[in-house]
Amino acid sequence: MFSAAAPRRGSGLGFAMPAILLLAAFFVIPVVFLLTRSVTEPQLGLQNYAALVGSSTYAKVFFNTFFVAGVVTLVTVLIAFPVAWALAIMPARWSAVVFAIILLSMWTNLLARTYAWMVLLQQTGLINRMLKAIGLIDQPLQLTNNLVGVTIGMVYIMLPFMILPLLGVIKKIDPAILQAAALCGATKWQALTRVLVPLATPGIASGALMVFVMSLGYFVTPSLLGGTANMMLAELIAQQVQSLVNWGMGGAAAFLLLLVTLGLYAVQLRFLDRKEAA
Amino acid sequence: MLLDFNKLGAWKWALSAICAVMSLFLLLPILFIVALSFGSSRWLIFPPPGWTLKWYEELFADPRWIGAALTSAKIGVIVMVISVALGLLASLALVRGTFRGREVLRAFFLTPMVLPVVIVAVALYAAFLRLGLNGTLVGFVIAHVIVALPFAIITITGALETFDPAIEDAAILCGASPWEARLRVTLPGIRHGLFSAAIFSFLISWDEVVLAIFMASPSLQTLPVKVWTTLRQDLTPVIAAASTLLVALTVLLMIAAAVLRKGKSE
Repeated sequence: MFSAAAPRRGSGLGFAMPAILLLAAFFVIPVVFLLTRSVTEPQLGLQNYAALVGSSTYAKVFFNTFFVAGVVTLVTVLIAFPVAWALAIMPARWSAVVFAIILLSMWTNLLARTYAWMVLLQQTGLINRMLKAIGLIDQPLQLTNNLVGVTIGMVYIMLPFMILPLLGVIKKIDPAILQAAALCGATKWQALTRVLVPLATPGIASGALMVFVMSLGYFVTPSLLGGTANMMLAELIAQQVQSLVNWGMGGAAAFLLLLVTLGLYAVQLRFLDRKEAA
Repeated sequence: MLLDFNKLGAWKWALSAICAVMSLFLLLPILFIVALSFGSSRWLIFPPPGWTLKWYEELFADPRWIGAALTSAKIGVIVMVISVALGLLASLALVRGTFRGREVLRAFFLTPMVLPVVIVAVALYAAFLRLGLNGTLVGFVIAHVIVALPFAIITITGALETFDPAIEDAAILCGASPWEARLRVTLPGIRHGLFSAAIFSFLISWDEVVLAIFMASPSLQTLPVKVWTTLRQDLTPVIAAASTLLVALTVLLMIAAAVLRKGKSE
């Protein structure tokens, strides 16, 4: 800012040009082109959107997508909140171990993790055999090729993305505020529900939005654990383009996914702005 | 009270228990694959009836697995170099630039990270069909640079923001040209950021599935594509062996990153 040499260097925009050109050519133009095909193929008009909204097959895809994303978000919040809370305050020795496990899981190949759940959840898998051994079930449960499997696999993948932002927010809360609550006679439960959770809400909200948005567009886990009968939106886009070569439909479904994603992203930005303003 | 671990009373044990169960939930499936990869049962019986290395032998005897791994490594290294180079230039512009709209540009650079990757994959697939880039190394590299670049930019701008530009100015005042100052003062100063960006970029390309499925051809596929196509047929323990090697690589790179962080704090 107060750099003496700055005026001689130009504005620096030139440095960004290679990245800008690459993204323009291979990101912006292809995406815009894909979206325009949704209103030009097979002919000019909104017929693809009418088909998407009108058919019960697609309605089921939308329901699956939003339902799974919603359940995954809810479950990850419920698990991630106590975990992030514990991580923020437990002795550094332990939290380092838990933290390393979270990072290991996050960086382990996505297909490897999904494969593990495919094996664990299959009819003859470890989970079914354990449930049988302790007498909870007689017949193996159907845990793969349905939304149950997808939800378990997705919660597994999304947990780190919820824990890490929550941890950041909880660490910033001043412990004195909770001491004050205790001094004023609040029980632990009151301190939790009326002080800690409200103070952590910006973190919960932004983590939840991020997980929800990521879940809406997820492709790999739903197609491997859900099977073709329980399709979600990302699979629908891939199927329309790759198997059916229906670019108009694929483009329309992609546009709807893009719209929802960007809309929720805008909500997220407003949350962050508000947090900074406060 | 609630933020003091030792004053939590019984809640302390409840929180610790939740933390422990969640850690096991995250860790056990990974250990489970490692164990299965050494187990002798083709039907993935657990605990395995015996121990064997035959899945690794099968993996290394199959030229398609080796070929896919080499392709992945080659693409990963090229993506790493391009992503760090473009990311460094873009970060210099974002952090040191004086032009208007830097925040807008930063948001623009991060959009490939925010959009569902399936949209990028389908859009690029259409573009590459026209350009004849599907199933080529160039196609893979372009696709992976698009998604790796945001991570490189985040990491390198982070490093640049903590590096005082006055040091660079001091070098210029002492007679260095602006380029000399950048290359010999700023670059070494942010080398930890550059190394992390390189590791991130490589790992993103190495692990990337969705774009790769669309870019792949029968003659050119990456390791994740090979795992994907095999998984759709059956759950063979060979995949457990391949996955175990991937986990081992992840652990090595995590250790490398941790060593880097330690070096930075010293």
